[in-house]
Amino acid sequence: MTQFFDYLILGLTRGSMYALIALGYTLVYGILQLINFAHSEVFMSGAFGSYIVVHLIVGNGSGTATWEVPIVIAVGMITGAITAACIAWTLERVAYRPLRRRGAPKLAFLIGAIGASFFLSTLASKLFNSQTTNQFPIFFDHNTTLFQIDGANVKALQAVIVLSALAMMVFLDRLVNVTKLGRSIRAVSEDAPTAALMGIDIDKTISRTFIIGGLLGGAAGFLFGLNFSFAYNMGFAPGVKAFAAAVLGGIGNIRGAMLGGLLLGVVENLVLLIPGFDASWTDVVAFVVLVGVLMFRPTGILGERVGRAA
Amino acid sequence: MTDVRVPTTLPPRAQIHAPSHRTVLLKRLLACLAGGVVLAMMVGPQEGSQTDYGYAFRKSVLEPRIVVFLAIGVLLFLAITYWPTIVPYLTRPGFWPLVSGALAVIAAITLMHWYDPAGDGKFSSTATVVRHASNISALATAFFGWLAWAELLAIIVVGGASIILGLRRLAVVVAVAAIVAAIISYLAHQAVVNSGGHQIDHSLGYAAAILGYLVIAGAMMVSATTAAQQVESKALVGRMFAFRPGLPLVVLGAVLTLLSFLEARWFSPGDKNTTLSATHGLFAGSGLSSLEYDYLGWLGWLLFAITVVLAGAAVWIRSRPLGWVAAVVGLAATLMTLITMYGMSKLGAQRKLDAATGPWQNLGAGGWMACGGLFLLGAAGFIAATALRPSASGVSGAPGRRGRVGYTSSDVVGTSTGSQKALGYLSAPGAARTALLIAVAAALFYPPTATSFWQEVVVSQIGISMLLAVGLNVVVGWAGLLDLGFIAFYAIGSYTTAYFVGSLPIKPPHWMIVTPLLTIPLAVLVCLLAGLALGAPTLRLRGDYLAIVTLGFGEIIHLSAVNSQGITNGSEGLTNDTQRHTKSVPQPSIHIGPLHIHWGLNQLQYWYLLLVFLVVIVLAFRRLEQSRLGRAWAAVREDEVAAQATGINTTKVKLAAFAIGASTSGVAGAFFASQIGVFTPDNFVLNNSILIVAYVVFGGMGSLSGAMAGAAMLTWLPQFLKYQVPPADKLMWIGAVVMLMMIFRPAGLIPARRRAAELHGLDAPSSSETLAVPASEGL
Repeated sequence: MTQFFDYLILGLTRGSMYALIALGYTLVYGILQLINFAHSEVFMSGAFGSYIVVHLIVGNGSGTATWEVPIVIAVGMITGAITAACIAWTLERVAYRPLRRRGAPKLAFLIGAIGASFFLSTLASKLFNSQTTNQFPIFFDHNTTLFQIDGANVKALQAVIVLSALAMMVFLDRLVNVTKLGRSIRAVSEDAPTAALMGIDIDKTISRTFIIGGLLGGAAGFLFGLNFSFAYNMGFAPGVKAFAAAVLGGIGNIRGAMLGGLLLGVVENLVLLIPGFDASWTDVVAFVVLVGVLMFRPTGILGERVGRAA
Repeated sequence: MTDVRVPTTLPPRAQIHAPSHRTVLLKRLLACLAGGVVLAMMVGPQEGSQTDYGYAFRKSVLEPRIVVFLAIGVLLFLAITYWPTIVPYLTRPGFWPLVSGALAVIAAITLMHWYDPAGDGKFSSTATVVRHASNISALATAFFGWLAWAELLAIIVVGGASIILGLRRLAVVVAVAAIVAAIISYLAHQAVVNSGGHQIDHSLGYAAAILGYLVIAGAMMVSATTAAQQVESKALVGRMFAFRPGLPLVVLGAVLTLLSFLEARWFSPGDKNTTLSATHGLFAGSGLSSLEYDYLGWLGWLLFAITVVLAGAAVWIRSRPLGWVAAVVGLAATLMTLITMYGMSKLGAQRKLDAATGPWQNLGAGGWMACGGLFLLGAAGFIAATALRPSASGVSGAPGRRGRVGYTSSDVVGTSTGSQKALGYLSAPGAARTALLIAVAAALFYPPTATSFWQEVVVSQIGISMLLAVGLNVVVGWAGLLDLGFIAFYAIGSYTTAYFVGSLPIKPPHWMIVTPLLTIPLAVLVCLLAGLALGAPTLRLRGDYLAIVTLGFGEIIHLSAVNSQGITNGSEGLTNDTQRHTKSVPQPSIHIGPLHIHWGLNQLQYWYLLLVFLVVIVLAFRRLEQSRLGRAWAAVREDEVAAQATGINTTKVKLAAFAIGASTSGVAGAFFASQIGVFTPDNFVLNNSILIVAYVVFGGMGSLSGAMAGAAMLTWLPQFLKYQVPPADKLMWIGAVVMLMMIFRPAGLIPARRRAAELHGLDAPSSSETLAVPASEGL
């Protein structure tokens, strides 16, 4: 049982990061019907952006007082989010808006996004470094145990990741459902020409959607870098998984993306409980689950459409 | 009565909401400056260390060099802002040719090879060699020292000034100067080659420079003439080419053959590197069969003369029978050239010249150039014999008109879109065929003249990715199904081949082990079944769901190959390992009756094998596109519900697309396995699937030539960039190119005709800002 909870906690940690990234995919998909392949690089830029600032504040991390830790984490998350939002906004302006203006075929967006993804990740490796295991300075003991569930340790870092991710998801959910911006996002994703007739500035709404997706992705980038490591190519694997998670929950559906992300993270870790199953097969499992779910529910667990379900 | 005043012009919508002019300018300036900074980073120094992350950033952005890039940004800003003022100058006759000629010369000096034996072969390395050499003329020394840049700069500045200011006399002077510059380039290159003792040299830099200077000379001559003369000569040239399809081919073929006979090297064992006439001397009394010996002497010239006269006459008087005769003679002359080359290289091998082991070795570029030239002359005859004739009205009705006259493409090729008209000469009758035949000639006769590095690239990357792109084009371009796991079928094809030749740890029953070429049908069959197995349950998924499921399928196949130690030998791949019972896949060979062909290590042999596959598949697919199934695909792609309503079994049709695409990559996989012999699961990662999609979209979805061109471009580019930018930055430049391409030409390099008609044929595009979000499909 201890092992079960161990894996569950690991799964939830990973899953909540997947969910944050998946939200970026799903928001953009909901509004543009476009797989934003460069979102994994938006996520990566969040890690690098937050690293620069965190490194500036705590140096090598040895002299950080306990009360400073939450502040540093908050600052890291915010700077990561802001960096990534800037990248996401620029991406939309440079790579997607001209294509929209030209009425390009949908796949042209996809290929443009892939080009942008190559460009950004290689530029990051050129500007910073091409090591694959950069670490954040250790400014608190990641192994501090907060409490135990049936013998399984819940570490402080894991709690921070899961809770902050949940907080952001609740915030986003409210944002989309209650505020005026959320209403315009839903309206544009429901029917863009009609929304335009209602006085909604479509370009602005799309820009803001990218910014929101970037904020969440950047925060996830910081959390991911803090928990594991960060590198110019860190975006690829979590990006693919998060995209799968978004589809699993029903792409375009915000709550679906959250659910899908958490579920994928948990399933991926729980399969390790099956005897004779080693870690090299986890990625296969993720996709088998995805394919299996889509067989029986072709529109994902919660079905699609930002407008209806969220 | 009230006086009702109706505003004569309503302000367009954009003006009502438009932000102030100053804001727009400020934003634009900021964007341009930011672009400059990004450019500074892109060409900046490489990464920092683990302890100093900011090194590269500081070096690239905070040093004085940033001023240059900001200046580029400001220039861009000025160009965009004052575009309307600039445009009249840009449309002055001769301006664009001047720019393109100058770019060709710049590319020749900065990027291309000037003398292969010298270092990396580029201009700067050659210049170093020249500086240290003693027996080189002063002219060449000066050219490689400073003259090259100086003359180019002077010609650009003075030529540009004469065009902008309209100084005709000066333009003539610059034209002469450009011709002199071309001659100097040639002489300088010749001097280097002579002093280097005629070592094997594939460099084309001097040719590009000469071409560039000749274009500049032409541009200056054009700008030196009056407007009336220009219109007249344009009309004349236009009429001539429209009336006589095939004329460009005659000119090209004649020039190429002449070059090869007079200038190029035909035979190059060891220290010899001989032209046609020198080769004739070399083989005097050597036992070369008389026909081949005569070819080197006078028969080659005679064949050339006959072909030129026949092709020229057929094209000029537009005679069909004469065209056929020219085509046959051209082909015969090409064959004769090949026979001669075979004969002399075989003789060379018998004499053990330069350790040659068999025919086709130690040949220079000359023979292949002659083959290409003669082939093109024959092709001109073929076009003259088969081209559609422009109707009389299309030709004679035009002469008085300004601009490109003589034909409108609608007379000849059916509907014409705006872009086709703008391209002018490219839409002339027979233009598509001309381009195709030039491509065929290049595919047949260019690879043997390339360096062995490029031969390998051509075969194992360009050729195979073309095959894959053609296969995926069926799925993505025609049926409109986004498949992000296409590489999986390629993997399945490769592993199937490896299984049936007995290279995998698990072996088939003894009687089933076959030779590599015989596994192709098996690989196709297995891939077909895999395509059906993947397609049957997933094809009811819509668009992007299908994308992620196929992506998942690709990952599953890849990871299974990595993890199944007992079946695929895991991540180590197929190596010659007796303990694990694996061996590399043997090379293909054919033994039918008296015919024995064995494909060894020479890449060229594989290229011609691949070409056979490619031609067969492309011809089959061309038929397929127009068939009932092809039209059904188009219908399903455009509107599945409507297609279903017209009685198309959409599931079956989509499955067919999946299966056909998959079996094409089965061919590619089988070929790949037997060509490379040793492969690992790393050849089949997700990134490669995405790259294949990129080939198809980059080239133009749904067009066969587009898919092939896209694959060729995107596989050539990284190899080319290898020598131009730091290797680590390769992907960055590719990403930038792909992104820019999609922004400025979203339909791809060679857009499909049917798709273009769908996009622009029926109605005007709807409101610009909502185009990415079809009203019917809002989520």
